[in-house]
Amino acid sequence: MARTTSSDAQALFHSLRSAYTSTPTSLKIIDLYVCFAVFTAIIQVVYMAVVGSFPFNSFLSGVLSCVGTAVLAVCLRIQVNKENKEFKDLAPERAFADFVLCNLVLHLVIMNFLG
Amino acid sequence: MSPPHRVNPQPLSLSPRQPKDPTTTKMARINFSVLTILSVILLLPVLSLSFSPDSPSDRRLLVLFDDLSLKSSHSIFFNSLKSRGFDLDFKLADDPKLALQRYGQYLYDGLILFSPSIERFGGALDLAAVLDFVDSGHDLIIAADSSASDLIKSVATECGVDFDEDPSALVIDHRSYAVVGTEGDHTLIAADDFIESDVLLGENKIELKVRVLNVYGFWIKQAPVLYKGIAHSLNAANNLVLKVLSASPAAYSANPSSKLSSPPSLTGSSISLVSVVQARNNARIMITGSLDLFSNRFFRSSIQKAGSPKKYDKSGNEQFVAELSKWVFHERGHLKAVNLRHNKAGETDEPAMYRIKDDLDFSVEIYEWSGKSWEPYVANDVQVQFYMMSPYVLKTLSNDKKGLYHTSFKVPDVYGVFQFKVEYNRLGYTSLLLSKQIPVRPFKHNEYERFITAAFPYYGASFTMMAGFFIFSFVYLYHK
Repeated sequence: MARTTSSDAQALFHSLRSAYTSTPTSLKIIDLYVCFAVFTAIIQVVYMAVVGSFPFNSFLSGVLSCVGTAVLAVCLRIQVNKENKEFKDLAPERAFADFVLCNLVLHLVIMNFLG
Repeated sequence: MSPPHRVNPQPLSLSPRQPKDPTTTKMARINFSVLTILSVILLLPVLSLSFSPDSPSDRRLLVLFDDLSLKSSHSIFFNSLKSRGFDLDFKLADDPKLALQRYGQYLYDGLILFSPSIERFGGALDLAAVLDFVDSGHDLIIAADSSASDLIKSVATECGVDFDEDPSALVIDHRSYAVVGTEGDHTLIAADDFIESDVLLGENKIELKVRVLNVYGFWIKQAPVLYKGIAHSLNAANNLVLKVLSASPAAYSANPSSKLSSPPSLTGSSISLVSVVQARNNARIMITGSLDLFSNRFFRSSIQKAGSPKKYDKSGNEQFVAELSKWVFHERGHLKAVNLRHNKAGETDEPAMYRIKDDLDFSVEIYEWSGKSWEPYVANDVQVQFYMMSPYVLKTLSNDKKGLYHTSFKVPDVYGVFQFKVEYNRLGYTSLLLSKQIPVRPFKHNEYERFITAAFPYYGASFTMMAGFFIFSFVYLYHK
């Protein structure tokens, strides 16, 4: 049983990886960016658990800047994905412009809240 | 104090229309200044003798009698008062010229009512005048006996004690009566149930003290006090009045010459023989149902309590009355608090405002009047409150044995208008109520810590995200 499960999982990962290679480079860049943001957020949560929640506003702004960045990047990815029929009429340039504007607002708020 | 005499009325009668003669005007000025100087000279001894916050002992006492024979039969008490520097004014209680005040100024600092049977005071004195006298901070001694009139009883009632309603009743005690030659009716009592307070009864019991061994150990006991008179009880609604000398548990109040038909209304230690009141304005009142308590006969009498082998050559009356009168006339137990100071730790100036979490030093000086001078008051139970609706800080002050009480504490993390409060109420002492208002502000905007070390990772993460966004945009746009 164990051997079968292991080879199944291997097959699953293999097919996932081969499918992912066909993903356009632009989407891969976005994925990398999202991973970076989520990783930074996790580091901060762990740090807070160790050190304590004293400058709580700083902690919130640090984590929320990462989470906000990740959310905005995911939104961008949905909008520029060619296979996504829902945003067929939305130009990728327009989607990127929205992304930049939202990021500016996000970081403005974060800077004010950082303390 | 006599009304100013017009030496030369002429300048005052000048009508304004008449041309002013310079010499007359000058005369008027001279007259006026002479009058001023004269009246100041006349007033000076009065001012210097009267009760003042700087020397709170009474000086001038008015003593009212039913008949002047009391002056000789109670002379030891009066002489002891005179030797302590009091200025005694003896009057009959129905003297038609009786007055406590003249031109709005009180003529006396204390009143001694040794006139139990008076139905109506003479002159301007009445119940309301006596109560006004006390309300303005003056002291009072009331001594009643079996002939106590309604007037004296109502003065006592206003002060918070109720004398027995029955006019023929006396305090009777078949267990702790004073042994005299004949058996008697046991109305002459040897009372020794004193309140335990050095400030009321004085520390100096050396002459009369005797060590009594008891199963509980040693204690120092004053000779019993001879008492013959009527009973009173304390008004339960009045919490300023207290028993200084209470009757023994076996005592009761009844007519000694008739048979008891119903249980007596006042019995046991609820009967008070001598009570004192310290009013909220620190006026002091002593009330007793025995005028003989102060008499030479009782002062000089030897005393032996029934059932006790110890016979004292001299009753405790003289000592008891002298010590208690020292308290009543503010020769003891009078406190004052001065120089309430506070400042930030490390500074000396008093700030107009504190910030939350400031460290501050608080000090106040407390002195006790010894009858002649202000002596440092030493106690370890004086507390200060840092108060806003409720005490946020309550600290016991430490003292340097020279009257300076000091403490330091941290302002709480709450802003608003606070008060430093010292409320000190102790048995027998005048109450101290001090408060000083001080506002407490929160941190100013620039008083918060700016860059907190513990938050550096969060700052770093935020700036990394901004940099990341910038790099990502370039990579995303130019990755072809």
